[in-house]
Amino acid sequence: MAVLADDLAVPPGRRFSLWTAVRRNPTIALGTVLLSLLIVMAVFAPFIATSDPFKITPVNRLRPPSERWWFGTDQFGRDVFSRTVYGARVSLIVGLSVAAFSSVLGLALGLACGYFRKVDSIVMRIMDGLMAIPSILLAIALITLSRPGLGIVIVAIVIPEVPRIVRVVRAVVLSIRSQPYIESAIAGGTKNWKLLTRHILPNTLAPLIVQSTYVCASAMLIEASLSFLGAGVPPEVPSWGNIIAQGRTFFQIAPWTIMIPGAFLAVTVLAVNLLGDGLRDRLDPRLARRL
Amino acid sequence: MSYILEVRDLYTQFSTLDGVVRAVDGVSFDVARGETLGIVGESGCGKSVTAMSILRLIPPETGRIASGSIKFEGEELTTLSEEEMKRLRGHRISMIFQEPMTSLNPVLTVGTQIAENVVRHLGVSWKVGRERAFEMLDLVRIADARRRLDEYPHQLSGGMRQRVMIAMALSCDPQVLIADEPTTALDVTIQAQILDLMIELKEKTGTAIVLITHDLGVVAETTERVVVMYAGRKVEQAPVEALFDEPLHPYTRGLMRAIPRLDVEADAAGTRPRLQEIPGLVPILTQPIVGCAFAPRCEFATDRCRSVSPPLVDAGAGHLVACWEIDRVRRAA
Amino acid sequence: MTAYIVRRLFATLPVMAVVALFVFFLLRFAPGDPAAIIAGEDATVESIAAVRAKLGLDRPMVEQFFVWTTQLAQGDMGVSIFSNLPVTRLISQRLEPTAALTLSTLFVAVALAVPIGVVAAWKARKWVDRLVMGFAVLGFAMPVFVLAYILIYFFAVQWQLLPVQGYQPIKDGFWPFFESLILPSVALGITYMALIARITRASMLEVLAQDYIRTANSKGLATDRVLLLHALKNAAVPIVTVIGIGIALLISGVVITETVFNIPGLGRLTVDAVLKRDYPVVQGLILVFAGAKVLVNLIIDISYAFLDPRIRY
Repeated sequence: MAVLADDLAVPPGRRFSLWTAVRRNPTIALGTVLLSLLIVMAVFAPFIATSDPFKITPVNRLRPPSERWWFGTDQFGRDVFSRTVYGARVSLIVGLSVAAFSSVLGLALGLACGYFRKVDSIVMRIMDGLMAIPSILLAIALITLSRPGLGIVIVAIVIPEVPRIVRVVRAVVLSIRSQPYIESAIAGGTKNWKLLTRHILPNTLAPLIVQSTYVCASAMLIEASLSFLGAGVPPEVPSWGNIIAQGRTFFQIAPWTIMIPGAFLAVTVLAVNLLGDGLRDRLDPRLARRL
Repeated sequence: MSYILEVRDLYTQFSTLDGVVRAVDGVSFDVARGETLGIVGESGCGKSVTAMSILRLIPPETGRIASGSIKFEGEELTTLSEEEMKRLRGHRISMIFQEPMTSLNPVLTVGTQIAENVVRHLGVSWKVGRERAFEMLDLVRIADARRRLDEYPHQLSGGMRQRVMIAMALSCDPQVLIADEPTTALDVTIQAQILDLMIELKEKTGTAIVLITHDLGVVAETTERVVVMYAGRKVEQAPVEALFDEPLHPYTRGLMRAIPRLDVEADAAGTRPRLQEIPGLVPILTQPIVGCAFAPRCEFATDRCRSVSPPLVDAGAGHLVACWEIDRVRRAA
Repeated sequence: MTAYIVRRLFATLPVMAVVALFVFFLLRFAPGDPAAIIAGEDATVESIAAVRAKLGLDRPMVEQFFVWTTQLAQGDMGVSIFSNLPVTRLISQRLEPTAALTLSTLFVAVALAVPIGVVAAWKARKWVDRLVMGFAVLGFAMPVFVLAYILIYFFAVQWQLLPVQGYQPIKDGFWPFFESLILPSVALGITYMALIARITRASMLEVLAQDYIRTANSKGLATDRVLLLHALKNAAVPIVTVIGIGIALLISGVVITETVFNIPGLGRLTVDAVLKRDYPVVQGLILVFAGAKVLVNLIIDISYAFLDPRIRY
């Protein structure tokens, strides 16, 4: 049944009701709830973790999940639960910072490209070239040439994600720029700066937000993949990718070392994707009708 | 007189978030073999839904034929299976739609779209189907028909596309052609051509045409008998000359009065009199309508009109009207 | 039509040029001293200088560029720092497993996902549709290596139906070859399938709401003809587009899948090269992968002309 626009509008006079908001946007609600739980887990990791994630106790190696070690231990006797909880920090930091940086950069470039033809032809060629290289490889190339560290991982992931955002922003700018009211504003002598900030920028925000949630999910996956391959965050830092990588050797007898962090990763990415989908449906009703 | 199509007490409804919409609220009419029947009314009066109901093309997720009977050549259509309906569609009852620009499939050639109809229903080979497609294009006066067979819809103009639609619809010699606003989306000059073409073809093939439109001019030019619909109900029915000579239903009168006239004199200041509109709005079809549907907007309305729905009354010579106050309407200028 | 194809062909050249330039400049303009980083933490001054010489970084920039482009034009992608073997040889040795994995995943994913998407659109909002959409959302969020390990755990370790890892070249027999590819293909392909099924459904839904489908139904045509010819052909362009975009997913996933399943292909080569900081090999792989992606997109672009006649003219 097609949702009529009326149903989404709150009747005048009714105050904001959380229950109705949840009912109307189940995906946003679910995504937000899951994501909040994870953020809480990451922020309060020291309080939630039951043991020191770095502590090596060889006598306790490879224990299955039990009362004492909720998710069991790895081959060094480290508590998988604590490591997983700390691992959330890395994923969230990487995801959020990549989303933030690439959004800012992408917005600036996208506005420039959509608005100034000359900039467009040069920059878009570069973007096309960058997009031709699969993101993991691009990140890998950058990492090969740098000293290991969290910062370089973030930069290495930002670079392949920027073209996606530039594309989206540019598309919006192009479509607005061709509108008659913009043409007349330019003819009337309105300065570029004012046009960009007053008229064009606000329209880019909705698609930008949606796209940056997808970038966040993608960044988390790429970081986990890189760490899994040993090319990401240094192995001492508990990142979900690292934990899984270290679990490989004894996987067949201790599958929990891989399954648990893996499940957390999947749920986190799912949460962010749901949030992105929900936001997209809400902010861009055109697409909502289709899907 | 044998009727090829008999619609009796048709009720078609849609479920929406605002309630049940009674799009067709108890409509009955007949179509005689080879006649051109016009169904006229404003947007939202249920005329298109009636047409879609006949061919049972109402999307089942949202709507249904709540009750009523539709007989085609004596056979009851409402109880047929979907497979049996499919055999009828495009074959013995065809339909053409309002938007020639979007009603043809953009990725298939014109020839394919006509031929597939013939192949499907007449069971012939594709070669024969293609030949027939060519004949049909010729019949609808498309120049260079052979070449056009392999062209795509976007290569044709609006008028030509509508001709293709007509060719497609008539390709299996249907007994009834339902035309839902076939000329509304076309230029006036093309409109005239298409209508002339339809009349000419009808005379050649003996197909009955149900012409749905909101344009009284089209009705006057093309139809033999007319049904006037309002808010899902039939309010008047008459042979076309009788309808225009003396419209009996206040709604029909209102429609006729609203037509801009070129022969009206301007006054001393050079102003022409205002166009006469029908005051008020079309009723919301989610609420059941008590009494006459037109009563809220009618200058002749009485309490009886507002409480009891008027039945269709024969005012003589095949002229039916659903109105309590016919005599007063007649006496008014 | 040929003009269109030729135009698309030429459009790929600037893209590849940018990729090549990017790869060139990356090494030369990376922050810090790439030679030192590649040589490693405990490198001596001599070994760093040796690396620099090997990479040709001690030459003037113009000469470097000239040498590099001429080498590239002749198909020479340089020499591995660690094994001293030509990069092209390393790549061609590892090509078969990767090609087999990628192609099989591609075909299976498309062959399964498109029909699933069509059915989901046809039965929109009924339970079949909800099931498909649920799978699509989950499948898209699932990281490849997590899924891979889950599959390995159940199918290989617990139930022992399929090999845990490894690759059997096709010349050693078809069945072992096939068996060794099943789990990797599924792991790699699920995300891809989720994406394709979703877009197929969305595109079909949009098409099924169009007037010309109403016309087709009013002609009483058979359901499968309406769905597959009238509808799907119109829905094809976005679907094919996303198949092309998804190739990037496949390529990224190949690296991980080969690592998990220990398949000696280009993906594993990439990982080894990164860990050893063997930049010439990484460089060569980037060119190859980017080239593959560009080629796929070219094929997709050309296919548009066959699917939608409006694009030809």
